[in-house]
Amino acid sequence: MNPEDAPFLALTGVTKRFGATLALDGAALRIAAGSVHALLGENGAGKSTLIKILSGVHAPEAGMIRLDGREAAIASPRAAEAMGLRFIHQELNLVPHFDAVANGWIGRRHPRRGPFIDQRAMRARVAEVAARIAPDLPLDRPAKRLTPGQRQMAEIVRALMEPARLVVMDEPTSSLSEGEAERLHAVVRQLAAEGTAVLFISHRLDEVTALCADYTVLRNGRTVGSGRIADTNRDGLVALMSGGSDRRQDSASGGAKYAAPVAVADGSAAPRLSAEIAFGPAGEGIAFEAAAGEIVGLYGLVGSGRSSLLKLIWGAKPARGRISVDGAPLKGGIASRVARGLAYVPEDRRREALAAPLSIEASLALPHLSDFRAARSLPVSSRPAIRRFAQDVARRLRLAAASLQASPMTLSGGNQQKLVFGRWLGRRTRVMLVDEPTRGVDVGAKAEIHAELRRIAADGAAVIVATSDIEELIALSTRVVVLCAGRITADLAADAIDRGRIVAAAFGHAVTDVPPKAA
Amino acid sequence: MILLRRYGTLVALVVIVAIFAIASPGAFGSVANLVNITQQMSLLAIVAIGATLVMVLGEFDLSVSAVVSWAGIASVALFGAGWPLALVFPLVLLSALVMGVVSGVLVARFALPSFIATLALGTVIGGLTFWVSNGATLFSGIPPVFRALGRGAILGVPVPTLWLAGVALVFWLVLDQTEFGRRLYAIGGNREAARLVGLPVRRDMVVAFALCALLAALAGLLLTARLGSAHPTGGGGYLLQAYAAVFLGMTAFREGEPSIPGTLLGAAIIAVISNGLTILGVPSFLQDVMTGAIIIAAVLIRHFGREGD
Repeated sequence: MNPEDAPFLALTGVTKRFGATLALDGAALRIAAGSVHALLGENGAGKSTLIKILSGVHAPEAGMIRLDGREAAIASPRAAEAMGLRFIHQELNLVPHFDAVANGWIGRRHPRRGPFIDQRAMRARVAEVAARIAPDLPLDRPAKRLTPGQRQMAEIVRALMEPARLVVMDEPTSSLSEGEAERLHAVVRQLAAEGTAVLFISHRLDEVTALCADYTVLRNGRTVGSGRIADTNRDGLVALMSGGSDRRQDSASGGAKYAAPVAVADGSAAPRLSAEIAFGPAGEGIAFEAAAGEIVGLYGLVGSGRSSLLKLIWGAKPARGRISVDGAPLKGGIASRVARGLAYVPEDRRREALAAPLSIEASLALPHLSDFRAARSLPVSSRPAIRRFAQDVARRLRLAAASLQASPMTLSGGNQQKLVFGRWLGRRTRVMLVDEPTRGVDVGAKAEIHAELRRIAADGAAVIVATSDIEELIALSTRVVVLCAGRITADLAADAIDRGRIVAAAFGHAVTDVPPKAA
Repeated sequence: MILLRRYGTLVALVVIVAIFAIASPGAFGSVANLVNITQQMSLLAIVAIGATLVMVLGEFDLSVSAVVSWAGIASVALFGAGWPLALVFPLVLLSALVMGVVSGVLVARFALPSFIATLALGTVIGGLTFWVSNGATLFSGIPPVFRALGRGAILGVPVPTLWLAGVALVFWLVLDQTEFGRRLYAIGGNREAARLVGLPVRRDMVVAFALCALLAALAGLLLTARLGSAHPTGGGGYLLQAYAAVFLGMTAFREGEPSIPGTLLGAAIIAVISNGLTILGVPSFLQDVMTGAIIIAAVLIRHFGREGD
């Protein structure tokens, strides 16, 4: 950043730790008044944490915030609001059945006439703000019936109800159509022209280079680059985000090289898993294959469709197209997939995998209760059979639990994740779908889960791992498939796995030097 | 203190029994009266066991009292028309099963809040009951064999108590020992997680609602057999008391989940209080006040106990 741009807001040396994770490690950010500033970084680089510190949601452990050159503390969201900082979050924060007028006044002192709120004055004030930036925004329609772009505008109107000095937009265009995105860009330029700075977070580099004047790049919680967009280009930004093109480094397991895909036992030529399904925002097709013994790493930015793809294969969402295992198409829902030897570990274990009333051992047996019957023809569970299975799993995964009769909610995050894996260990797994295998899991448990995934693959399963952790992706995968906005933008075999290529593909760059493998 | 926190509800029952036994040693504490209490609690407990199944899912069935009344009126109306017991009994149960399936489908398939769906369905059933009965108490044509199903004793145990014992045993086994029972707890704990591991979530929910209505109808039939008549609002008192029993039962054990033993304990507490206060000559409106206060106290103790865990 040029010294003559006196930053109205400067953060230096900001550090924030969540448990064992260092989310920010001395990050810096300097924003000039009235500039459009891009905040860039991979998943988990620390962007969201930095914004939460700006908005007063989190308090930093170290670091300094200066506003107009004077040291300032942002103790609460209310303090951030008073300083003129506005935040438009990724998930929209409008009340769905309120119109733009009512939404604009939430949390503010409503104008009054006598004891009643003055609806006419409320509307006049919102209309005045809207006329400046979004004259065609319908003010009387409930937010739930607005288009995503109109909702975005309603949020911006709300942000500008009182004088704003900085508007932070967290991926504002990720859910917008092309036309709506252009509309938003025009508003951003207008805000800057009026002297309001915009901190713009986006994974779309075309948009960033066209719209923003300055940039700051975060990697692993540190600011690794900042300056004028005019002095760099897309490749330069990608290189900063990915930290150059590090070759893959084998994980701690002693650098074991991966076995070549195991031949399908029955000798047929069909791949273990193949999927040809309608996918992506436009519903165009995606074709995808995995062989027995492979660990296919699925990478992509937030919104690229990693989780959706796994859910479609698992049958948790209705899919159009054809999904086959060993050449035979999958029919029916989730239960029939369990019967065919598929297994699924969802992304959010608390929301999608664990049920508090069941004990740990009952949770482990849940997907295939009928394997634990006292008598084969009666649907009565045998406690000893369930207990034996649970003890085996606990031993194999080193699941640390005070008691297997306790609720899974008493376990640590890593042990909960082991439990969700352990469910599928009792039977022969042909295809294992794993979404974020080690999120919120400590280092020890992480290594154990990785080892288990390798064992499952070595036993002849096709393992598909979606992860936003690029280190994990590189350490674990025998093949990497990169998704961007619902399309496969790279399919890298083991010796082509490279951080730079993965990041470039995730941002929608074609990977030029490695032709995608024929499906 | 730990004992109180963990088994507070059980301790409460023992304490309440002890207080009444001291206050009225002859009348309350007699074996005959204690046996009588099991009979008094039986119909309430059968309805509450049905409500427990639905509560395990984290849902409510507010139509239970309407189904109790319906079963009574429907059975006596059919008896009056000359239908035999062998046909009336299964037919009335079947009608309730259909009602339960409707609730279950509304909640599981069409995602209606169970509170609203079953309140509305209960209103419909109540209307049908008045229609069939013309708003009058029905009593003609009840065969003596039917009356024997709700009265008398076998080997000194009242027949309603035997019904309760059978129902409680069956549904304790269902919830505690079968795959269906485990699935219900899984669905109640996290419906999305249950769906994602491939459990038949909708089917199981419909079955639970159907069983709940079935048990309410059974209680209605036994009530009619005991009284020898049916009133179109005869089941009105069961709704709140059944849920009170379930909630008391949920405070009984460490996990705080609905369970059959818990519900039995809850129903026993309600029956003991009512019986004991009646013996002591406390007017019935004061009994209601005390019953409500005891439920609030039990849940509060549980609440503070859990904070200490």
